[in-house]
Amino acid sequence: MKAEVVVIGSGISGLTAAALLAKKGRRVIILERNKRPGGALKRFTRRGIPFDIGFHYSGGMGKGEILRALWEYIGVWPRLVVLPFPPEGNENLRITDSGRVIRAFFSYDRLEDELQRVFPGEKQGISTYLNRIREIANTIPFFNPDLPLTPYLHDLFSPKSISLAQFLTSLIQDTDLHAVLSSPVFLYGVPPREVNLTIHASVAHPLYSGVYAIDGGGQAIVDAFLATLAEAGVDILTGQEVESVLVKENQVAGVKTSEGEICASHVIYTGHPTSLLDLVPDGIFRKAFYNRMRNLINTDSMFIVFGAIDDPDTLGDLTWANYYNIGTGLDIMNLDLRHPEKWIMINAPGRRDSNSTGASRGVLLIRMSVWDEVARFDQGVQGKRSAAYRKWKAESADKMIEQAGRLWGNAFSRIEPLAIGTPLTFRDRLGSPMGATYGVRHSMNQFSPGVRTRLPGLWLSGQGTLMAGIMGASLAGMVTAGEIESLEPLWDEVRQCR
Amino acid sequence: MISEEQVRRRVTQIMAEEFELEPELLQPDATLYEDLGLDSLDAVDMVVALEKAFGMKMTDEEAVRAVRTLGDLFEVVGRLSNQQAAKE
Repeated sequence: MKAEVVVIGSGISGLTAAALLAKKGRRVIILERNKRPGGALKRFTRRGIPFDIGFHYSGGMGKGEILRALWEYIGVWPRLVVLPFPPEGNENLRITDSGRVIRAFFSYDRLEDELQRVFPGEKQGISTYLNRIREIANTIPFFNPDLPLTPYLHDLFSPKSISLAQFLTSLIQDTDLHAVLSSPVFLYGVPPREVNLTIHASVAHPLYSGVYAIDGGGQAIVDAFLATLAEAGVDILTGQEVESVLVKENQVAGVKTSEGEICASHVIYTGHPTSLLDLVPDGIFRKAFYNRMRNLINTDSMFIVFGAIDDPDTLGDLTWANYYNIGTGLDIMNLDLRHPEKWIMINAPGRRDSNSTGASRGVLLIRMSVWDEVARFDQGVQGKRSAAYRKWKAESADKMIEQAGRLWGNAFSRIEPLAIGTPLTFRDRLGSPMGATYGVRHSMNQFSPGVRTRLPGLWLSGQGTLMAGIMGASLAGMVTAGEIESLEPLWDEVRQCR
Repeated sequence: MISEEQVRRRVTQIMAEEFELEPELLQPDATLYEDLGLDSLDAVDMVVALEKAFGMKMTDEEAVRAVRTLGDLFEVVGRLSNQQAAKE
């Protein structure tokens, strides 16, 4: 087989890069080792209830915003039914220690009003924080598309802004407010003391500008891309594991898969950069690169209970609100391994479907998790793990359900778990080392991997190379396609679609 | 304080090991890009390796961008190591 570009991985970054390159007339093949394409955006169904794994909502889809422009340019936008969160939509943040409940609205103005109402002594700090996030966003081309892309992407050694934690403590006294303003960290997976304000702003700004669900969830996005890719003549070969990247005369020549060889002059690898090292012949990369990639620190993982509730009315306003129970202060990402169920989140993305009769019963209980919790169970193959693992999973889920009942009302203690995802599940299904939710940590303590590699024709993509989340990953796909084509002209065409 | 000689020896050793360079090429006037054949992609790997070895941060430093020769690198690494050690 022959292509110009082989894309390894069919998550949103791979689908985006493939669609853009096909639009530019390139012959593209996508390889996916799982049976179904779509990566973390896929839905699965239990007892007729659809469950979303990775996509719950996203910013960037308002008029003039970048994800919408990109998807317009690609041609998937008209295939999607986008559901904007109504004004009352919010992250309902309950702070354990004080019992305070704060509604973090998905709107700069409403958020400011609510925070100034709950924290009247911090009015100035709240305004300064929100203004600063807006100012920083205005320097990032994805939020101010009049800017060129290259200076932002290639600027590695200029002084970075301070950490989120430093900024908040310089501005605000109330530790509950520190937690509230830090809470977007759950959407990118870096603790407040480790993340610079620019990375935080790149997630907080779209969050405060309005968020959106998609009718049919992440699967609808996957299906829209598949339809567009089929029209563009892109082949998606599923169930094919890439065994190695082929190299000829110090240049990419294709890939070898479990089924045979595919010739190509470009290969885009969208998996975790550490996993790429095993696919490339010795002698291509230098020891320094191996060491850097092997030592990358990843985000933590999650434990998710995909459950059903008999009487959907008990879920109250969960359609447009996500319930969190968090600690006070800046350590909201620290997991208490003795009581990992203490800080949890409830979310019911399926209820946002326009026809959500069955979906209205589905609910997700989510908590952070780390590899250490499951390392001892990492034997055997998926689906055939030990009884001890199944027991631990069930008990951990029960503790979360009890906790949800204590926090948000008895009805939640009757959630019936239909499926459970652990760091092991996410490692095996999504190919993320140690089940890392957002891949490589965009931390002040390390350099994130770039798109280019030393091997001409071999490129990286995915959320680890740019930004976390669906917006980050889709934009990463655009950046990789842009590096192969020509970055600024592509950016120019995308931003015309605003 | 880390001495100039210690910095020079350690940096040379790291460059030889991590970038598989011949030790005799590693002279102070050797340019990183032309003489040693490194490229902009290697720069990040180099910074990460040096930060680890010397326990300091090179990220926020304009001076890092101005490094052209191995001698420049000895100077920057020595200065930052001593500055940052003094702050702690």
